[in-house]
Amino acid sequence: MARRPANGSLSRRAARLLPLVGLALSAIAHADGWELSLDGRAVSSNADPSYTQGGISGVRYDEDQSGIRLGRARFALTESIGELWSVHLDASAWGDHDRIPFGLTEAYVQFRPYPFAGYRLRVKAGAFYPPISLENRDSGWESPYSLSYSAIDSWLAIEVRTVGVEAQLDWLGTRQGHDFDVGVTAGAFGWNEGAGGFIAGDGFTLTDRQTPLGGRVGLPDDPVLMNFEPFRELDGHAGVYGGLEARWLDRVVVRALRYDNRADPAAMDYASGAIAWETTFTAAGARYEGSDGVTAIVQSLRGDTTIAPGGYWLDWPFKAQYALLAKSFGRHTLSVRYDHFEVDSSASAGGDGAETGHAWTAAYVFTRDAHWRFTLEWLHVSSNSYEREDAFNLAPFASETQVQLAVRYALGSALD
Amino acid sequence: MSAGMRPPARRNGVSRVTSAPACLLALLAAHATAAASLVITVRTSDSKPLQGAVVTATPLDGATRPSAPVKAVSDQVNRAFQPDLLVIPSGSTVVFPNTDKVSHQIYSFSAAKRFQLPLYHGTPYPPVHFDQPGVVTLGCNIHDEMVGYLVVTDAPYYGRTDAHGSWSSEVARGRYRVTIWHPRMRDNDTDLTREVTVGESDHADWTLRLVKALQVAPLSDRPHSWDY
Repeated sequence: MARRPANGSLSRRAARLLPLVGLALSAIAHADGWELSLDGRAVSSNADPSYTQGGISGVRYDEDQSGIRLGRARFALTESIGELWSVHLDASAWGDHDRIPFGLTEAYVQFRPYPFAGYRLRVKAGAFYPPISLENRDSGWESPYSLSYSAIDSWLAIEVRTVGVEAQLDWLGTRQGHDFDVGVTAGAFGWNEGAGGFIAGDGFTLTDRQTPLGGRVGLPDDPVLMNFEPFRELDGHAGVYGGLEARWLDRVVVRALRYDNRADPAAMDYASGAIAWETTFTAAGARYEGSDGVTAIVQSLRGDTTIAPGGYWLDWPFKAQYALLAKSFGRHTLSVRYDHFEVDSSASAGGDGAETGHAWTAAYVFTRDAHWRFTLEWLHVSSNSYEREDAFNLAPFASETQVQLAVRYALGSALD
Repeated sequence: MSAGMRPPARRNGVSRVTSAPACLLALLAAHATAAASLVITVRTSDSKPLQGAVVTATPLDGATRPSAPVKAVSDQVNRAFQPDLLVIPSGSTVVFPNTDKVSHQIYSFSAAKRFQLPLYHGTPYPPVHFDQPGVVTLGCNIHDEMVGYLVVTDAPYYGRTDAHGSWSSEVARGRYRVTIWHPRMRDNDTDLTREVTVGESDHADWTLRLVKALQVAPLSDRPHSWDY
């Protein structure tokens, strides 16, 4: 297929953001906490166009986007309301074709009462990530270990968000002479019936682009994704999830979460052609941190997404897992991650959307101080995709390599 | 001031005595109860000296007069309690000044003292009063990784072990209940308390070797979480 022209220059895009930066600066003056960051990239890639360019690929930037890119411009705000309530807003621009040039990736109110009798309650309402990721623990839901997220977290970034309410209750054993804490989480949400559409269309990809609320995925002429909206409600059914977490001191975290968006797979908005994807999955993982600077993470995702437009059932089971090993030497961190992912459509969809692939990510992160971070990342994705040939007339097998050098500068109320 | 400093050893009231016969009597009495060194040493299960263990010594003979209350400071620096452990006599007060740029919400749900204290940057807060003995575990409602400890004691002699795992104090001769505590110890409480008699010798000592390995130390330099 024909390639789209590469994005406009970084400076032109930055100029368009100036009014928003001004707005942000006036908000800063009144906020309890804020962060402003700019992440610029030098990219070298041999990949096909990704979904943001109307194509299908396993990485964020394609060959024509090699050069200087805007990785992310971000502004985040935390504002307390009284002692126990706070508002969190996280807005970003990604320097690509989204119809929302500067959109909210998360926006929620949190209720945070003081722990009582060994128990701690947290309640969130708004739009936010469900508690799954073990690598994206930095502000802005970024990873301290690499630029590109794992296939699992990339999928969450693209089309999964809790738009609703979540409550988490923890028993704080470590504050009572024990070695561990345990917690349970429950969430109820709507506006996420698009979740699953990306997996069934493009499969898995490794990116760090987070779809803003109200944003779309794919371009209007995309033969597979058709510019769909992941954060949309079609049938009025609330989705739910429940999770468990256990922590051993500050060394080990183990998490499991069962998610069901309880969409009616036959629901459809005929005007826009939007379909409800009934998606269920179980995500489980563990993170270990040692006193020698070693971090190890393993995570798995197993699920299924179903649609039934006009009573014709189509079903895509999917699974992904990764293992990450990182070692920090003071301000330097080296990491390597292996991802494996698979979408199966043989039973009902006759192969449409089927994909298998794996990826290696190697990254070096130098955190000079609270303001400057430099990252060099090499990412190699090999995948075999039915849609790549069927919808895009490309060879089904692709071996793509993307190298990025990122420089991030951050300012913030809490950064010294 | 540091509340972790051990108080000066008591002097048995000699300074109050003025008349000559009374001086003579006092000298005789002083000989009987003259001060001697109480030396406590703590070693880990692999025989390394344990620094920072809290030692308290309470006389078992006669009335016990606890140490005078102190005004202690527990600061919040770079999202950590500094110091991470304070030993204070019952009745003491602690100020939490928060020199971080971020706000904290300090709390304890320990039986010895339950309290909640919001610390907004740049706003001074009144000191917190600790009048019951026990261990108070401090946390921050905003930053989960913050943990600190206050040991509130009625004992007249207290302190923390040095780099050699030792603590010592000049005490009057007699029997003492000595208790050792450290946030990372797992040994049974009964093994951490012992009666020690300071007799005719000029010193008495107890070396405790822990049976169980210490809990692993908290990590430093881990990435700060942003509510994930």
